[in-house]
Amino acid sequence: MLDTASRSAGARQRAPLRTPAGRTLANAVASAVLLVIALVALPDLLSIYYIDAMTQVAVYAMVALGLGLLVGRVGLVSLGQVAVLAVGAWVAARLLFATAQPYPVVLLEAGLITMAAGTLIGLPALRLRGLYLALITLMLAGGITIVLTTTNFPNGGHGFLGYNGSLVHIPAIRRPAIAASDPGYYRYSVVVAALMFLLVIVHLKTRPGRAWAAIRQSEPAALAAGISTTRYKLWAFALASFITGVAGGVLAGAVQYLYSIDFPTQDSITLLAVVLMGGVYSLWGALVAALLLQLLPALLHNWGVSADWLTILFGIGVVQVLTTAPGGLADQVPKDLARLGRLLLGVAGRLRPGAPRGGGPP
Amino acid sequence: MPSWADFQPFIVSGLALGGVYALSGVGMVVLYQATGVVYLAFGAVGAMGALIAWSLINAGTPEWLAWLVCVLFGGGVTLAYGMVFGPPLARRDPLVKAVATLGLTLVLFGLMDLLWTTNGGQSRAITLPTDNGGFTVGQIQVTWTQVIGLAAGIAIVVVTEVFLRYTKPGTAMRAMANDREITATLGVPVRRVEAAAWFGCGVIAGAAGLLLADLVALDATTLTFLVISSLAAALIAQLRSIVLTFVAAIAIGLIHDLITPIQALSNYRDMTPFVLAAVALLVPARQQLLSQSREEA
Amino acid sequence: MIEVDGLTVRFGGVTSLDHLSLTFEPGICGLIGPNGAGKTTFFNVLSGFVRPTAGSVRAFGEDLLSMAHFRRARWGVRRTFQTEQAIEELSVFDNVAMVHEHSGLGGASRRHDVLGAIGFAGLDADPSARAQTLAAGQRRLLEIARAVVGRPKLVLLDEPAAGLPDQETRHMGEVIRAIPGHVGALTILVDHDMSLVSACCTTTAVLDFGKLIASGPTAEVLRDSRVVRAYLGTAEVL
Repeated sequence: MLDTASRSAGARQRAPLRTPAGRTLANAVASAVLLVIALVALPDLLSIYYIDAMTQVAVYAMVALGLGLLVGRVGLVSLGQVAVLAVGAWVAARLLFATAQPYPVVLLEAGLITMAAGTLIGLPALRLRGLYLALITLMLAGGITIVLTTTNFPNGGHGFLGYNGSLVHIPAIRRPAIAASDPGYYRYSVVVAALMFLLVIVHLKTRPGRAWAAIRQSEPAALAAGISTTRYKLWAFALASFITGVAGGVLAGAVQYLYSIDFPTQDSITLLAVVLMGGVYSLWGALVAALLLQLLPALLHNWGVSADWLTILFGIGVVQVLTTAPGGLADQVPKDLARLGRLLLGVAGRLRPGAPRGGGPP
Repeated sequence: MPSWADFQPFIVSGLALGGVYALSGVGMVVLYQATGVVYLAFGAVGAMGALIAWSLINAGTPEWLAWLVCVLFGGGVTLAYGMVFGPPLARRDPLVKAVATLGLTLVLFGLMDLLWTTNGGQSRAITLPTDNGGFTVGQIQVTWTQVIGLAAGIAIVVVTEVFLRYTKPGTAMRAMANDREITATLGVPVRRVEAAAWFGCGVIAGAAGLLLADLVALDATTLTFLVISSLAAALIAQLRSIVLTFVAAIAIGLIHDLITPIQALSNYRDMTPFVLAAVALLVPARQQLLSQSREEA
Repeated sequence: MIEVDGLTVRFGGVTSLDHLSLTFEPGICGLIGPNGAGKTTFFNVLSGFVRPTAGSVRAFGEDLLSMAHFRRARWGVRRTFQTEQAIEELSVFDNVAMVHEHSGLGGASRRHDVLGAIGFAGLDADPSARAQTLAAGQRRLLEIARAVVGRPKLVLLDEPAAGLPDQETRHMGEVIRAIPGHVGALTILVDHDMSLVSACCTTTAVLDFGKLIASGPTAEVLRDSRVVRAYLGTAEVL
């Protein structure tokens, strides 16, 4: 027992970033830096085309965050998150047209209503085994897409659906006064996304996060520890739905014109693919997923390459992740970088005069 | 409310469609029982096969050859996938295996859009010679293709039941569905049986793709996601009973088409598979105790 | 005191527990038997993972079986599993804290209780270290810490020292012996290691094919010829 203690203390001295506290600090610093770059530097450096793409990245980072939460933390696979996004966008559009409420309020309401819908569906669905749950969500996505094609998105009309089929000039969905321009709205969406990430981090560090970790590892052990697995799974469902609903609201203001063709069933599958590729065990994975999903296609489109190549790439990627690298890119890349770093340090160490021969501990 | 005469043609088309759904559903159930994989790429494989057939026919290839290529393509791609990605994922949860097939779906989907772009005006179609001939039942026109659709569904059920019960590879598949490891230790050539299951399922996918391309539309997206209807039937049968898959598939096909003339519901008829599957799965209050805690006593 | 009356569990054609009736007195009770005897099934019934076909269990005067499984932990049932279930990505502290917070105990005493449990188990590791980094023996001790934190009434230990070398098994035995005194819980120990059972348990019950074949003071039970026969499976009695 004694030497394990001294070994861990020694290890702490040699590799400060390896401790849990060190890792949190590194993550916090990196996030802060990226946030500053995103808010301050990017709007001046990028063209409007890429600003709009980055706004989409912000939106889908939230969606990927929700799905990553479900898959990575609770082990629930949903193939219908894009449909949930559509619901959030629908609610937000309806409210933005029908009321004069301030934007944050509308976003909150979109999130809450979507959360209520998600929880209602989640309750019976959670009794299903993982495979069946995933397949039911796939059909759910298809179902909602069909409903939306028929009811259409609100466009300022009256009635519950808020759709006026005979409008010639369709009004745009409004934006907040402080963020009416594209760069302005981009900053707004980055802030909202950051808040959602913060919300998830708070969850992970407290009781629900611990319960989810227990459930993911072993449901019997979680139950034996007194955790009501149903309640916590539902909580994850609710949280993911809330975040995706808010994302839908942000999306509504971003594109300002919503069409049902924006939410095809295929997108839910592609979303799962990139979330798995990005890595579901780390929050960075959600950001990677969003970049894959929204920035890469924009780049390719600019260079005249068909987006179909990406679809193919994601198909290969998801199979690769499942067979070899379950942690995804967010897990692999830091590991590879760390290995590279150690290699470099090892080389540098050996080049130092008076350095001990033979490699040090890893 | 539409009249009986208005419904009649839809009974026929619904049965034909349901028959093809049954064909696909049974193919997926058998593969699941033999390998634990829910083959979600089923529709995409069939779609691509149909598109290949279309291109070949357009290029002057005799029709029967094009169809053969379509069916063999289905079998070949599915077999290749199964042999390459089956073993590394064999021990994993069925959910993981199913999601992996989604990867294949995406690859095929991307390829299809790349090779057969959907430019505005052009719509493709596959016509089988059996579309032209037919007969009349009462006042309803029935084409031979529709008969084939329903017949294929019935045939696959019969053939599969006989195969599983009375042939060696069929019995092997049933044993593998129960416990793959033990079956392997009994000396059953598990890999060969699996290969047969994959190939067979792929061939069915190709055939179904061809039939659906004829009965519905030759469109990559439509055909890829029609798998949802067959999947719904398979889920209602809990991925187990072949006869139940058939019944559910017929029900889905019938109800879907019969809703067409009803004005108020017509636009929502594509939700039929979802609604039926959801009802079948969610309503029974089946409380499952954890299967993970099956520890030795 | 735990009173088991006529407990029967049937899965399909297999009867895992056959009209089991016995009483567990406060202290440490052993539960032994050959593989397949029904010991883990019995624990599964107590934890709520398996619903018995018949019979009742009264724990400290309350009907245990009528409680939903996750509520039993709040009531005071703790259990370790044959394959240890430390939550890898959580820290040692969080692993134990998780059990504490779901037992309905307040947050004020949490830190104190958790560190106390870790110390009681003799787990010499950094509480903030991830459970993933622990060695096998340390993980087993972490399981013990999780089992004793808070105020459990019933502690079920399922082969807690499986796979451990002799010295660590002895240490485990010392920790287990201290449980009733330190925590006040009735402890039931399932194990195949007879030296551990004799060292810890004042009384022992023996199961074979789901039936109780002996119970009483540990030393006597271990010498009982029926018990020996059950384990060694000798041929029919002449």
